[in-house]
Amino acid sequence: MTEEARVGVYVCHCGSNIADKVDVEDVRDYAKDLPNVVLSRDYKYMCSDPGQDLLKKDIAEHNLDRIVVASCSPRMHEPTFRYALEDGGLNGYFLEMANIREHCSWVTEDEGEATEKSKALVSSAVNRVPYHEPLEEKEVDINPATLVVGGGISGIQAALKIADSGQEVYLVEKKPSIGGKMAKLDKTFPTLDCAACILTPKMVEVARKEEVHLLTNSQVTEVSGYIGNFDVTVTETPRYVDLDDCTSCGDCSEVCPITTEDEFEEGLVDRKAIYRSFPQAVPNSYLIDGDTCVKCGKCVEVCEAKAIDLEMGPQEHQIEVGNIIMATGYEVFDPSGAAQWGYGLYDNVVTGLEFERLTNASGPTGGKVKLEDGSEPEAVAVLHCIGSRDENYKKYCSRVCCMSSVKFSHLAKEKTDAEVYEFYIDMRTFGKQYEEFYNRVQKEGINFIRGKGSEIIKRDDKLIVRAENTLIGEFVEIPVDMVVLNTALIPQASQTEVGQTFGIQTSNDGFFLESHIKLDPFRTATEGIYLAGCCQSPKDIPDSVAQGSGAAAEVLSVITKGKVSVSPISAHVN
Amino acid sequence: MTESKEFEPNIVGFLCNWCSYAGADLAGISRIKYPSNIKIIRVMCSGRVEPSHILKAFKEGADGILVSG
Repeated sequence: MTEEARVGVYVCHCGSNIADKVDVEDVRDYAKDLPNVVLSRDYKYMCSDPGQDLLKKDIAEHNLDRIVVASCSPRMHEPTFRYALEDGGLNGYFLEMANIREHCSWVTEDEGEATEKSKALVSSAVNRVPYHEPLEEKEVDINPATLVVGGGISGIQAALKIADSGQEVYLVEKKPSIGGKMAKLDKTFPTLDCAACILTPKMVEVARKEEVHLLTNSQVTEVSGYIGNFDVTVTETPRYVDLDDCTSCGDCSEVCPITTEDEFEEGLVDRKAIYRSFPQAVPNSYLIDGDTCVKCGKCVEVCEAKAIDLEMGPQEHQIEVGNIIMATGYEVFDPSGAAQWGYGLYDNVVTGLEFERLTNASGPTGGKVKLEDGSEPEAVAVLHCIGSRDENYKKYCSRVCCMSSVKFSHLAKEKTDAEVYEFYIDMRTFGKQYEEFYNRVQKEGINFIRGKGSEIIKRDDKLIVRAENTLIGEFVEIPVDMVVLNTALIPQASQTEVGQTFGIQTSNDGFFLESHIKLDPFRTATEGIYLAGCCQSPKDIPDSVAQGSGAAAEVLSVITKGKVSVSPISAHVN
Repeated sequence: MTESKEFEPNIVGFLCNWCSYAGADLAGISRIKYPSNIKIIRVMCSGRVEPSHILKAFKEGADGILVSG
């Protein structure tokens, strides 16, 4: 500890963020009388250039050797002020920040209490800072290989961008094929391109690129190390079919006696225990679902390529990477627990993803929108915000449902010429060409009703949608044959557990927490781990692709530099 | 403190930089209001908090200690 420290205290107003609640002049004057304090100032924005210049000038003029900045969280601006100290000729670690914004002005109701708490926080910082010792940042080499976790559109985009630069990428996917949720979609808004047509070329490119090492049916089970040098354990669930030997002829599937729910088809049909997720799967080989297979050996008998090995066990892969991109995606809200919407109770109440499979030319009905009895619906209802924007379920907006609902209405009309009713709270068509798409579909004769579909009941042989038409203030009951529930995008059930494996946090909505919600949406609080796609928040395809490329750019900037500074602050236990 | 006033405890929080301190930041960003009794001390790991830190805080007048990490 420096006995005769010369401490400068700077109390930031943060515009009105702090000054509206905390009497900054009072805190400034209070700090003047604290031990070792040579000068104490307040300033509108300490992080601004003039604010930092003030600090640098004072260091020289008043011979300051320790600085306390009372402002926002050090997790926000500690690096900013460290650089300012260094520019002023001091070791950057002779800084202590008092967090009087996140921990005080923003969370305290009473102005007097906020001012007193600020004084306490400043006093503790002033008393602590003389103990600071000069620290030097050390540089470590960056392993140029990258791990991308999740092979949906975001992960594919990130992996391909990094591979394009000639760097190695390990792409780990939990499911037997890459493609993610996008592979299940039919047409995509606002252009009505078929999802497969724009996605599968990218999937094939992943398989083709030498730089990409694809590990499917695999999960990351252990991560250690730090930015530049992570050691990762990947556990591969056995496929029981050799990836290289399988010719994808499908003979095995034909003789397999076991059937189970087809997850790719959202459970609308069954599949065999030896199967391929979908015809364009990458990798394209068949695999055995170990949970349902009874090991009868019939597939082994018919496999001419001798690709099946029923004794295959799980495999562990040890990989070393410098950076990690999380692209673990989302799940959809299961409405079966919410009886008001009749899902699971009545036939012909389907989720959005189920409707995608029904309209998809490669889906179980060959793209025909049919009721359970095989007939075409005469009236269809599309309900927005099922589980989203709802105090009882998820409070947030899932972002994609307004547009996909408009798309569902268009497809239902086009394929069946049914009367289509769309129930919405607000119409949020924020993206490029989105409003234009909505206008186009409006002209197709869809009945847009402003009001949330609050209940589905069955009367005679019709499903009745109950809602309040809020434009005319009237309760309505619309009889239909089919209801599409456009369900919320929610975090993966394993999100918290996966976060713990990688040492990253979730925000209160359950999605992974980014470094800064606006200015740093790619990075996490853990250096070297980045986010892409719906694991950070619900997103449409354009935004998922953008974040995939963005995360790749973050990684490439680190790889290009070749070295990274590691914070010298670490915990020591005596 | 006069007798007529209700007792207000003085609480010291030792919070890990990587989780709980970030959580307290998130409370701020979300504008969740809570009493001003707690004063947070940032540590780089909650495992770094020694019994002597806790005893010292009590000795200096803390009524309660929260170690979170």
